[in-house]
Amino acid sequence: MTLSSVELEIRWGRLVSIMDEVDAAVARTSFSTIVGESRDFGVVMLDRQGRSLAQSQLSTPAFTVTLPITAKHLLRKCPPDTLQEGDVLLTNDPWLGSGHLPDFTLLMPVFQGGRIAAFVGCVAHVSDVGGRSDYLDDRDLFEEGLRVPPTWIMRAGVEVELLFDMIAANTRAPRLLLGDVRALIGALTLGTRRLATFLTDYRLETLDPIAEEILTRSRRAMADAVAALPDGVYRAKVIGDGHARPITIAVTVTIAGETITVDFTGSSPEQLDCSINAVANTTFADVYYPFKCSLLPDVPNNEGLAEFLTVVAPEGSLFNTRFPRAVRARSKSSFHIHAAIWKALAPILGDRAQAASGSFWTMVVSGENDGEPFRVHMLPNGGKGALAGRDGLPTIAFPYNGMITPAEVLENQAPLLVTARALLPDSGGAGRQRGGAGQRIALTPRGDARLDVFVRPDKMTHPADGLAGGAPGAHGRLLLNGAPAPLAPMTLGPGDVLELVLPGGGGFGPPAERPRSLVAADVVAGHVSPAAARDLYAFELPETV
Amino acid sequence: MTDPRFRLGFDIGGTFTDFVLLDRTTGETFLNKCLTTPDDPSRAVLEGLSPLFEKAGAGGSDVEIAIHATTLITNAMIERKGAKTALLTTEGFRDVLEMGTEVRYDIYDLFLEKPPLLVPRSLRFEVAERLDKDGRIITPLDEAAVRALAAELKANGVEALAIAFLHSFRNPAHEERAAAILAELLPDLSISTSGAVAPEIREYERMSTTAANAYVQPITRAYLDRIEERLAEIDYRRRLYLMISSGGIAGAQTAKAFPIRMLESGPTAGVLAAIFYGRQMGIDSMVTFDMGGTTAKIAVVKNYEPAKSNLFEVGRVARFKKGSGLPVKIPMVELIEIGAGGGSIAHVDQLGLLKVGPESSGAMPGPASYGRGGDRPTVTDANLVLGYLDPAYFLGGAMPLDLEAASMALEARLGRPLDLTAEQAAAGLFEVVNQNMLAAMKVHIAERGEDPRKFYLFAFGGAGPAHAYELARALQMRGVIVPAGAGATSAMGLVTAAVSFDYARSFVTRLDRVEWPALQAVFDGMASEGLAVLEEAGIPEDTLGVRVEHRMDLRHKGQGHEVTVTIPKAAFEAGSLDALAQLFYAAHEEKYGHAHRNLAVELITCRTTVLAPPPAVSLEALSQDGAVSGESARKGTRRAYFPELGTYAQTPVYDRYRLRPGMNLDGPAIIEERECTVVAGPSAKVRIDPYGSLFLDITAPAAADKELVDAERD
Repeated sequence: MTLSSVELEIRWGRLVSIMDEVDAAVARTSFSTIVGESRDFGVVMLDRQGRSLAQSQLSTPAFTVTLPITAKHLLRKCPPDTLQEGDVLLTNDPWLGSGHLPDFTLLMPVFQGGRIAAFVGCVAHVSDVGGRSDYLDDRDLFEEGLRVPPTWIMRAGVEVELLFDMIAANTRAPRLLLGDVRALIGALTLGTRRLATFLTDYRLETLDPIAEEILTRSRRAMADAVAALPDGVYRAKVIGDGHARPITIAVTVTIAGETITVDFTGSSPEQLDCSINAVANTTFADVYYPFKCSLLPDVPNNEGLAEFLTVVAPEGSLFNTRFPRAVRARSKSSFHIHAAIWKALAPILGDRAQAASGSFWTMVVSGENDGEPFRVHMLPNGGKGALAGRDGLPTIAFPYNGMITPAEVLENQAPLLVTARALLPDSGGAGRQRGGAGQRIALTPRGDARLDVFVRPDKMTHPADGLAGGAPGAHGRLLLNGAPAPLAPMTLGPGDVLELVLPGGGGFGPPAERPRSLVAADVVAGHVSPAAARDLYAFELPETV
Repeated sequence: MTDPRFRLGFDIGGTFTDFVLLDRTTGETFLNKCLTTPDDPSRAVLEGLSPLFEKAGAGGSDVEIAIHATTLITNAMIERKGAKTALLTTEGFRDVLEMGTEVRYDIYDLFLEKPPLLVPRSLRFEVAERLDKDGRIITPLDEAAVRALAAELKANGVEALAIAFLHSFRNPAHEERAAAILAELLPDLSISTSGAVAPEIREYERMSTTAANAYVQPITRAYLDRIEERLAEIDYRRRLYLMISSGGIAGAQTAKAFPIRMLESGPTAGVLAAIFYGRQMGIDSMVTFDMGGTTAKIAVVKNYEPAKSNLFEVGRVARFKKGSGLPVKIPMVELIEIGAGGGSIAHVDQLGLLKVGPESSGAMPGPASYGRGGDRPTVTDANLVLGYLDPAYFLGGAMPLDLEAASMALEARLGRPLDLTAEQAAAGLFEVVNQNMLAAMKVHIAERGEDPRKFYLFAFGGAGPAHAYELARALQMRGVIVPAGAGATSAMGLVTAAVSFDYARSFVTRLDRVEWPALQAVFDGMASEGLAVLEEAGIPEDTLGVRVEHRMDLRHKGQGHEVTVTIPKAAFEAGSLDALAQLFYAAHEEKYGHAHRNLAVELITCRTTVLAPPPAVSLEALSQDGAVSGESARKGTRRAYFPELGTYAQTPVYDRYRLRPGMNLDGPAIIEERECTVVAGPSAKVRIDPYGSLFLDITAPAAADKELVDAERD
């Protein structure tokens, strides 16, 4: 059976809207602010073989790529013929899942006429999973918390009590974590109900006919997009910092006909004293992302779109780390990957390559307030990189997505005062298109409170690169009472002021080519100082302005 | 001299200005419609009113109340035609307005844009002052600095100022003091304070809302003054009322203070009209469906109450994508807007799939069939080829459509790449645009925990009645209602709405850590503000039927989102915080299937609505002559396509104006009126109720789109 253009459009649209409904249920019922506010989760529909077909439109991109990989691992351990209606499978194993323990992957079969017709799955960054700290100096996985191998968390609609008890016994916040798990199960159950109705409406026993059509068409479209790129071998290197020692992200991109291979040979080895190691799944997802953005941004994501891609990373390297290396902060490595790929391909992608972005930092503040423990996260962002034809946006999430916690919310959750959140002049890399501005956030304890704080900074010595002659963005700084702060957990007492100075995005094209009217507007707005306008753009502001 | 007995409603839309004059003593209504006059919208008001008054034999002094809805505020925001606006905020925070939430609304679009700013960076000012989370002063307001700012505002030609300080929702004293200082120094400056406009937690959204209010305030004032003057010229000297976003009406003074509360007032009035018709017919649950030229708007009504939300986005820059507009935190009747209208353009995408919208052909060049140079196929073109529209009777014949041009556009842009005939392409386009609307409706209805099978679909707008049958059939709804005068439905909502106003104030605390009197003070404050608004609207507090309703946004401590819980009067009077917590657990359980009774309950925001009783009006009921055939209203027959048949059928066409209450028609049938065409499929039984509304009862269940499959195989 082949489906017409109209039939497929209608069916696919319905599948995506089912996943949007599941997405909304996760966001509303979760206890984790990382899920509810920062949207660090994804929901995906898969066929009987665990191939992804549809996802919610706001799903975290990396999760939608790792989830089908995880699904296949779960189904190897818990084969389809052992599954019953109402079962839910779970794992948070970094090597099988999305690369660190807080990401719980759940998978639920959809039954139709007594047989499995499809699956609905989700990955979400849940509340605390135990472990020693959130800092970067873990030496192995065992310091990072509870690991759940692939298994059942629900059996025929009934909670597996032992596993719930085990999870609760290994976290600092058992109610919140179990609340998260139950919210995810509730959302998946909703998805299976909706999908069953869909199958009934179309008198289908499985999603297979639709799956074939989605995957084939997607595969074809991506192959055409890849084939349109000139064959060749393209190399680039990016340096990341903000932890024990700088790391090298080296990529060799080989385009051959309808396929692309990205090789990480030459990148740093895995780190033995630092939790920034990336498992192969994470690496694959972050390599896929810039291609999806550049080549087929509008096609709803599915597994067919990723088939052009092969990723090679030597085992034991930073991008294919082995058990039991520490992986908690793997995004500190993986969020440089897009920048390396666009740097390599800038000559052939033209206006579809983006300069490097400031990316997010993590800040966690904890302590005691009125005799009660508190722990709050804030994930502020630097500026986005520029593209040909588009300045980088100031302070916006890239490549991940998430909301900054408002100052008023933070101050209600923890005894602190945010004293500034401001754009940084001259932080966006100069260029024909200017990089997005970074920001400065300052905070201090309220009254005589003490705050335990740690920050995962980035681009402290190696700023976000520009492209095609654009200048890099300003680098980041972390200051305690005006002096560089240690890259380690800190305790702030009364009067201490911590400043997070987040990096700007890289510029695109030679600054001299920037239209004078735009430089003038930047100077008037204060995004570019008169001195920088003169030095970087050779621009003198007329007296009259 | 008799008492004034008419209620006048007028809705100034982008293209048309609609009027309704309702005689409350007889229930008789008079409708009119004329082109909007954008250079001076009040001109159209006078032009449209005089024939209406003539028909009714009335004048301005016979009108007891004039109620107005307008798209002016929305347009001023979208087109950035507001006042030169400045922002004053707490030291360290002037960039928050530009930085926003830091979220991308599209995860794969590298070129994504943010909406243009209402206040440029050079007009965003800071002042030393600071409150803590409980509203206690940490740093006093630097009054000298505020005074010094006056000169700078003046030098920059600033017309409006938004003042938004941190935590002002707990204590507006600093904002109010700064406003007072500047009002004294700059009497012409229009000032909005965040503690009055949107006293809710989250500084970015509050700032954005306050800036938007300031931005439209000067033009709203001038505009409403002008309308009031023009009404006075025709002897209406009573108070002017405005439809507000939350579905009530308020006096002009209130609207001038909070112009941002008038966003979407026209579409909101449409929902109110549906509720009014529902009351007449005894139907309390409906989904309203208003499909026009570029968008379709959907709202859910239950127990005669519209579903509401507390956040709206103005002027989405990216094809209706959530998050791509400016956030405005105001109480709204919740309208889901979909990029699907008569002008929505169809194309074939990279995967060879047929897509419809959200791009629209607008009025120029318009659909291919308008013959104004458009060559891309639109929903209207498909509806023409499918036989739903009569090329000679579009807008009552005022605008002939070109069937040939529609066929050619369908054939060239869709037929050839997809190997379909023009008719097959039209059928596909119709199915896809319906699916787009269905998906949005389904998610929206499901999110509210409702079952579509319990609802009627109340259809209006130029294109709504042509698509409603298919939507209702797919969702197995109870049927479709098309009101009389579906072209002026919104105006009907104006004359039947009640005075009401909504308030919100954030108060973040654990329920078990707060004293009831502190909360009660917050609610009482909002209630007395609301009663003052009623007073301003001429309704004293002791009027029979005046109600005050209280709600709270509550969550489990640590949870990211809140559930709004209505506090029954008894619970409010008892003041038991524990009882409130139990109400929350029950509400959470009902909505999400689970609640955690061992987790503390956290309050985020208190909400209060003050309502006057609805006006005592009812429509004139026409007598029903028993079940009679509609044959006398038949004007012809034409070929029309029906997905459930998978083919075209000879379909009788009826003149809506000749249909009488009590008549019955069997589907398939097409019923034409000037501003819209009603399509009733083969499984419809059509009846006309005593108020002239059409009821399409659907007799056969939906069966997905199997029929389409068959049609394509032909």
